[in-house]
Amino acid sequence: MPTTSFDIVIIGSGPAGATTARVAAERGLKVLLVDKRQELGAPIQCSGAVSRHALEAAGVDPNQEFIQEAIYGFGIYNQAGEKTTIDYRQIKPDEYGQGEGQLPLGYVVDRRRFDRYLMTQAERAGVEVQLKTEGLGYQSTTNGGCAVQLRHFNKTFEVKAKVLVGADGLQSQVGKWAGLQTHIKLKELASCLQYVVDGVQTNGLLEIITGQHWAPGGYAWVFPKGHGYAEIGLGVARNMTRHDAQWHLEQFILHSFFKDRFKNYRILEIQGGGVPLAAPLKTQYADNLILVGDAARHVNPITGGGIHTALHGGLIAGNFLADLLQSGQKPNKQNLKGYQDQWLEASGNAMWKLYREKTAIFRNKDIAQRDDLLYKTMSDYFSPYSEYKKI
Amino acid sequence: MPKKEPVVFQIGWNACIHCGACIAVCPHKPGFITAFDTIAVNTPCDIACMACEAICPVSTITHQQVSGQKQDIWS
Repeated sequence: MPTTSFDIVIIGSGPAGATTARVAAERGLKVLLVDKRQELGAPIQCSGAVSRHALEAAGVDPNQEFIQEAIYGFGIYNQAGEKTTIDYRQIKPDEYGQGEGQLPLGYVVDRRRFDRYLMTQAERAGVEVQLKTEGLGYQSTTNGGCAVQLRHFNKTFEVKAKVLVGADGLQSQVGKWAGLQTHIKLKELASCLQYVVDGVQTNGLLEIITGQHWAPGGYAWVFPKGHGYAEIGLGVARNMTRHDAQWHLEQFILHSFFKDRFKNYRILEIQGGGVPLAAPLKTQYADNLILVGDAARHVNPITGGGIHTALHGGLIAGNFLADLLQSGQKPNKQNLKGYQDQWLEASGNAMWKLYREKTAIFRNKDIAQRDDLLYKTMSDYFSPYSEYKKI
Repeated sequence: MPKKEPVVFQIGWNACIHCGACIAVCPHKPGFITAFDTIAVNTPCDIACMACEAICPVSTITHQQVSGQKQDIWS
């Protein structure tokens, strides 16, 4: 690699890392973006739902390259199958739909294509990108910058940077290198499994099924996946059940009020992961380092949604770093705290509020009351009048 | 609380979906991982909190005590 000195080095090219990289490069910074994978987005650990607003706000064109299906609203179910429908095609027919002048509310994206698209946009903005490159460690140096050790096709090398950005997901090692408190409690990490299936009808809505019986501590979902496919999945809190996500998913498919709807299902893909239903990290910065996306736990603690929050955090991080470095300020932890402050102001404080709401629901020991509360909270959350509309 | 006995984790690779949930919930210092997005195998874990086994969506992590005895965390 010819260049060994950058303004920022970003480890992890998911939505948060690639957006930070693109925005910083557009603002004139010299950026290296690395990812240990050979193909981004895989193995998929995400259902892929994102609002149109989230894409637009981050300057991402809703491109057919990654869109699998347009979404127009939500169907929220309680344990017995009673339903709250929030279909924007009916609520605001002038704005939402498939007709001329109408738009979707959001999309289900293919994370493999989406992540590659975002990386490509970063590359076109001037970012140097290296796949098959893992981070090994970093140290602050006496000149106020840092040295980052990387390995690419078994070759270890070092680059210099002013700021290292940890965008390496929920399993973040970068945060641990900095000694940040990144540990997530078992009860706050939903254990999730989903099948991409053929043979299950959907109609442009994200369907969410609540209730202790189907998904203790989490919820189940049925999302449209394009080409007539669907995603059926769920997440459970393992402190609330003796069974794993796979067992619960089988129960949901074979025995829930959707069993007739699911009877011809055929599994096309199997995906899973841990989804934090937790608070954001209290400290997302250190000397020469910030965290973004899942690594900073920028995830909605009620829905587990993380694409919107990753794009949004990336936008803030990229702009903040450009402002900081171009004004000649030192990238020490006192100054990098400004990134977290900006993020809290823009969306973090609302995320903390959501976390407290979620915690209050699950603190209730009465299962029936808890189920009612979760159903109501989910239904309110997705309503057009929700105070959290754009979180 | 008495100190837990160190354990060694095994992963049934046939069922592993490489989702990384086990790493996400692991309280170890950086590096207690494999190259396949899982917690370390064949390496003693002296924390023995078993959160990795519990979070696994497909229950494909098991452990033995370093003394050699196999255990089920749910029993």
